[in-house]
Amino acid sequence: MRRSLPYLLLAPALLFTAFVLCYPLAQNLVNSVREVDLVHGPGRWNGLANYRHVFADREFWLALRNTAGYALGGTLMALGLGLALALLLDRTTAHSAPFVTCLLSLPWVISPVVAGFAWKWLLNDHFGILNAWLSAAGIVGPGTSWLGNPRTALLCVMAARAWQFYPFAMVMFLAGLESIPAEQYEAASVDGASALRRFLAITLPNLRPVSSVLLLLGIIWSFNDFTMVFVMTRGGPIDASMVLPVLVREFSFVHFDLGKGSALSIVIFAVLVLLSGLYLRVLAGRERA
Amino acid sequence: MTKRLPVFLLAILTLVMLLPFLWTVATSFKPLPEVNRYPPVWVSPSMSLQPYADMFFYLPFSRYTASSLIVATSATVLTLGAGSLAAFAFARFRFRWKKAFLLLFLLTQMLPGASVIVPLFQLLRAAGLYDTHAGLILVHTAVLLPFTIWLLHGFFSAIPTEVEDAALIDGCSRLEALRRVILPLALPGIGATALFAFLGSWNEFFFALILTTSDATRTIPVGIGLFVGEFEDVWNQMAAAAVLFSIPPLLLFAAMRKTFVRGLAAGALQ
Repeated sequence: MRRSLPYLLLAPALLFTAFVLCYPLAQNLVNSVREVDLVHGPGRWNGLANYRHVFADREFWLALRNTAGYALGGTLMALGLGLALALLLDRTTAHSAPFVTCLLSLPWVISPVVAGFAWKWLLNDHFGILNAWLSAAGIVGPGTSWLGNPRTALLCVMAARAWQFYPFAMVMFLAGLESIPAEQYEAASVDGASALRRFLAITLPNLRPVSSVLLLLGIIWSFNDFTMVFVMTRGGPIDASMVLPVLVREFSFVHFDLGKGSALSIVIFAVLVLLSGLYLRVLAGRERA
Repeated sequence: MTKRLPVFLLAILTLVMLLPFLWTVATSFKPLPEVNRYPPVWVSPSMSLQPYADMFFYLPFSRYTASSLIVATSATVLTLGAGSLAAFAFARFRFRWKKAFLLLFLLTQMLPGASVIVPLFQLLRAAGLYDTHAGLILVHTAVLLPFTIWLLHGFFSAIPTEVEDAALIDGCSRLEALRRVILPLALPGIGATALFAFLGSWNEFFFALILTTSDATRTIPVGIGLFVGEFEDVWNQMAAAAVLFSIPPLLLFAAMRKTFVRGLAAGALQ
């Protein structure tokens, strides 16, 4: 009894995880090498045909490129914004600073669906406030469609994603800034280093570990993100903002080709394993340092 | 000047960052003719709470709200139950495969929803749980578990073992010690974890979208996410739903800011 107690304690959590995550993942591997459709269920084994279909699909390569751009671009924007805000907050000694941090965290706290909705309405071609201002300033014509234009759709979704992710970066950068020993700055001031020089020689190197963690986490999360794209554009117009998680839904529940959907989801999983491995290595490196 | 500049910049940037949400808030109080007016205006004298009432009356948001409450509450209770047992095991016992189990939970947290959704859908349908609250509760519980275990593990480990040893000497069993000593001491941490779990389920969209299909089981985010495509003419009612739906997360965040931020950092730096 004493020996088995820890396993008994783990049992409920393991059961949930096994049924909802481990079993489906294994089943997905099996599904990905057979014909499966929603009505008839699993059919013949067809080897790697599902994977061949995925890789032969123009839509897949487009979505892969979009997903990579969305994950990297959105994350970089968020990191830039988060760093700028953290630096400003760090300089501010006002009593209202915690309150401002709270306000600035709003995009991260509200539901991603609400975030997507808010951006979609902000960017609305006729009744959105952004176009009203831009056309009043003569920058764009009235009724410019941002989400309906294949050249701007992905960029808009990326901006919305950055908006959602920057508070996380900001809070992490702020913690990073606070942990930089004040002596380093004092020593630099004594040596007569300029503010810019201090920033480049002290602040940035000290923020490197937290930046690499944020970069990888941001990419991993955005790579998995379904909500923002689905709510704002559904992957359109004509696939201009299609990303892989939305494409899985398309293959599986719109075209009802579950085998192809499974194969694609295994491809996503493989990419995520690579990224997670990289992330764990970065973390391990941090602990050793 | 050099002192004022950051404050000034910060104020401007904060306003810019809040803009998308503020625009939704403004819209949620406008009657439809004002919403569809060009050029748009921020405020108008005809603003009222009418869109909020309409949203409950004309759109199925009262059902969605009930579903969201049921699912998020049940998932929180289940996650906390299973999670605190597991966290207790990790914090207080040495056993074979401990590292492997910890790694398993860590990895499941990275697992993309898209790579399990198809078989999960088939599984729930075969079990008669597709489009039911119970099915979604099960899925949310599993998805929330890794992070919950990780947070609770930290809170439990912070309690000195001596406290528990004293209880054991007094004749308590290990489980009684958990119930009578550890849980009460870890209560603030458990409360914070519960909030995380609740919000995780409350805000969740992907699984809720694909694993439900009827108005009786759909949660609020699904309602908002789907209506954005279908009912674009009632932007004010949709905005009202979005604002109302954001209030619980915002209140919880305001109340628990410090723990929130710590948990946030913890989640990233495991």
